[in-house]
Amino acid sequence: MIPVEYELILSLALFCIGLYGILVRKNAIIVLMSIEIILNAAILNFVAFSSYIPPSGDPAGQVFALLAIALAAGEAAVGLAIFLALFETHGTVELDKIRLLRW
Amino acid sequence: MLENAWLAWLILGSPLIAFVLVGVVGRRLPEGGAYVVVGSFATSLVIALYFLAQVLLQGAVGGTTSFSIPGFTWIPGNPATVTEEGKIEIRLLIDNLSAFMLVLVSFLSLLIAVFSIGYMHEEEGKPRYYAEIALFVAGMLGTVSADNFLQLLIFWEIMGLCSYLLIGFWYHKPEAASAAKKAFLVTRVGDVLFLAGILVIWNVFHTFRFEEIAAEIPVLWGSSFTPQLATLIPLLLFGGAVGKSAQFPLHAWLPDAMEGPTTVSALIHAATMVKAGVYLTARSFVFLVPIASGGGILVAAVPWTAILVVAIIGGFTAVFAGSMALASYDIKRVLAFSTISQLSYMFLGLGAGAYLMASEAAAGSPEVNTVGYSAALYHLMNHAFFKALLFLAAGSVIHAVHTNDMREMGGLGAHMPWTSRTMLMGALALSGIIPFSGFFSKDDILAVTFETGAANPLFYLLWLAGIATAFMTAFYTFRMWLMTFHGEYRGHGHPHESPLVMTSVLLVLSAFTLASGFIAFVTNGFGNFVFYEEPHAALPLVTPLLSGNVVELGLTGLSLALAFAGLGLAWVVYARKSIPASTFTRTPTRAFLHSMLLHRYWIDDAYNAFGSRAVAGFGMATDRFDRNVVDGIVNALGRGTVVTAALADRFDRKVIDGAVNSISLETIRSSLALRTRQTGQVQNYTWVIVVGIAVILALAFILGFLPRALGRP
Repeated sequence: MIPVEYELILSLALFCIGLYGILVRKNAIIVLMSIEIILNAAILNFVAFSSYIPPSGDPAGQVFALLAIALAAGEAAVGLAIFLALFETHGTVELDKIRLLRW
Repeated sequence: MLENAWLAWLILGSPLIAFVLVGVVGRRLPEGGAYVVVGSFATSLVIALYFLAQVLLQGAVGGTTSFSIPGFTWIPGNPATVTEEGKIEIRLLIDNLSAFMLVLVSFLSLLIAVFSIGYMHEEEGKPRYYAEIALFVAGMLGTVSADNFLQLLIFWEIMGLCSYLLIGFWYHKPEAASAAKKAFLVTRVGDVLFLAGILVIWNVFHTFRFEEIAAEIPVLWGSSFTPQLATLIPLLLFGGAVGKSAQFPLHAWLPDAMEGPTTVSALIHAATMVKAGVYLTARSFVFLVPIASGGGILVAAVPWTAILVVAIIGGFTAVFAGSMALASYDIKRVLAFSTISQLSYMFLGLGAGAYLMASEAAAGSPEVNTVGYSAALYHLMNHAFFKALLFLAAGSVIHAVHTNDMREMGGLGAHMPWTSRTMLMGALALSGIIPFSGFFSKDDILAVTFETGAANPLFYLLWLAGIATAFMTAFYTFRMWLMTFHGEYRGHGHPHESPLVMTSVLLVLSAFTLASGFIAFVTNGFGNFVFYEEPHAALPLVTPLLSGNVVELGLTGLSLALAFAGLGLAWVVYARKSIPASTFTRTPTRAFLHSMLLHRYWIDDAYNAFGSRAVAGFGMATDRFDRNVVDGIVNALGRGTVVTAALADRFDRKVIDGAVNSISLETIRSSLALRTRQTGQVQNYTWVIVVGIAVILALAFILGFLPRALGRP
C-alpha cells in the first residue's frame, strides 16, 4: 500500500504546478487548465484520505471525488464559454490584454 | 305708531344707493350722475316729509312723540338677562327733533345738489363729487336719525371722512390738500373726546340708546352715576361738538375748509355738518338737564360747570369769530367766520337755556322752561337756510368772476341782478333785520341769555358778547355785500348772471329765508316743534309783546338798533365812502388790530408754530437721541457682533475647515495612490491572494505551531 505521504506530496506538486500556471501564464485557456490541475490536486487529497482513514477507510471521500470531477467538467464548460465570448468581443484571450475592471 | 316705519330706512338708504351707483358707473351717467343724486335726495326729502307729517299729526306740536324704528341687532347682549343687557342695535329714532332735522337736511341737500348741476358743470371729476356728496348726505341723515350714541358716532365719522374728501376735491391744489388734512386732523381732536365720552357712557349705563340713558339716569344717580361723571360726560360730548362745529379752540379748520368747491362749503360748512355739533349738544341735554323719574328735572344731577362751559365757549367764540370776519377780504372766509360765530350763538342759546331750565327747576318751578333749547334749534334752522343762500350766492359770484377776493369784485349788482338781490335777503337775515328769519331766532337767544343773567351774572357778560356780535355781524355782512355788488367793478373779467338752475335755487332759498322765521308762529312757538319733553309755547317777539315785558322789548329794540348801526356803518364806509376804509388802519394801534384780525389772532400761526417748533423740536430731540444713543448702542452691538463673527470666521476657516479639508485631501491622496493597485489584471489579484495566504500561513506557523514545537512540551 502506498503511504499516504507520497500521495500528499504528489498532490502538493500538482497544486504548485497549477498555481504557477495561474500566476504566470497569460493565455486564458492555459490558466483554466491550471485551475483544473489544482482541482485535481484537491481531488487526489480526497481519495488519499479516503483510503487512509483508519481502520479501513471511508468511502465518503471517493464520493466527494466523483462529485468534484462532475463539477469540474461543468466549470470547464462555463469557463470555455466565457472565453469564447471574450474572444468574440475582444479578439483575444490573453489575460493581460483584457483589463476592463480597472481604475 | 308710525305707519310704514320701514320707509325711514330709505331716507338714508337712497343717498347711500346713489353713492354706490354714482361711485361705480358715474362716468357713464349724464352730468356725472348729478340727476341720480338729486333724485335720491328728493326721495329722502319726500319720505322725511311723510314722517314729519306723521309726527306732527301724532301730536308733536305741543306734545312729544318718539318712535324707535327697529333695524337689526349688531352685537347680541347677555341672553341670561331679561333686557339682554349689553345688546347693541342699529335702529332709527324718529321724534320731533330728528324728523325736523331730516326734513331740513334733505331739503337743503336737494337744493345744493341742484345748484351743483350748474356750478360744477365744467369741472373734472364730477362723478367723484356727486358720489361723495351722496355719501355725505347719507352720513348727515344717519347722524340726525341715530337711535344711540354709537350709531351717531359712526355716521358722524362718515361725515368727517366726506368732508375731508370734499374739501380736498381739488386735491392737486396744495392749499386744498392741506386744508382737507387740517379739517380732518382738527375735528379728530374733538372726535377723540366724543369717543371717550361714549366709552364713559357705556361704562356707566351699559347702553348707548338715548331713551334708555334718560330713563337710567335717575335710577343710577348716586350709585354708579356720580357727580363727577355727570360733569365729565357732557363735557366730553361737547368736545366732539366743538370739533365738528368749529368752536374755539378747534375753530381753525373751518376758514381753511373754504378751499373746497363753494357748493361743498354751503352743504358742509353751513347747512349740515357743522350743525351736527349743535344737534349732538341738543341730544346731550339728557345729561345737561336730566329728567327725574317722575317727570320734572333731577336738580341734583345738573352739571352746572358743563353748562357754563358750553355757554362760555359759545359766547366767546361768537365775538372771536365775528371779529375775524371784519378784516377778511375773501368772500367765502367772511361767510366761514360768520358761520362759526352763528354756531356760537346756538351753543350760547343751548347753554343759557339749560342753565335757565335747571335754575328755575332748582328754585322750585314745576314747569320746564325750554325757551333756550328751542331758540337754539330755531336759529339752527334759520341759519341753515340763510347761510346756504349766502354761500350759494357767493358761489354764483365766484362762478362769474373766478376769484374769491372781494377787492377784485364790486359793482356786480348790475351784472348779476338775481344773485345780488337774493344775497341781499340772506345778508339781511344774517344781520338780524326784522322780519327776516335771523332776527327772530337770534333775538330769542339773546333774550334767553339776558334772562339767565338773573340766575348767574356771568350771563350778562355773555349777553354783551352776543349783542356786540350782532353789531359786528351786521357790519361785516354789509361790508361783504357792498364790496361785492356795489360801486365800480374792480376785476378784469366779464361777469354774467349764472344759469337758471342756479338762480332758481337762490330764489327758493331766499323765499325760505324770509319765511322760515314764521314757522314758530305757525306752530305756536318753536319749542312746540322740537323739544323732546315738556313743550313750551314761547314765541319770538310776540311773547314779550303780549306779556308787556318792557325789558325784553327794550333788548329787542337794542339789538335791532345795533344791527342797523352796523349796517349803516358799512354803508357809510363802503358805499358812501364818507369815512374811508383806510381809517381803520391809520394809527399804529389800529393797524396792529387790523393785522391781528387779518391773521386770525395768530392762532393758526400758533398752531403751526406748535406743530413746527414744539412738535418738530420734540421730534428733532428724539431724533438726536435716536441717532446718538439708540443708534450708538445698536452700532456698538453691531460692531461687537462683527468682531466676534470675524473671529468665529477665522476659527471656522482655519480649524474646522482645515480639519475637514485635510481629511478629504488625505483621503484623495491615499486613494490616488491606492487606485493604481486596481489594475484589472486577474493575475495581479491572484498574486495578492496567494501572497496573503502565504503570509497568514506563515504567521499561523510562527505564532501557533512553532512555540509549541520548540518551547513547551
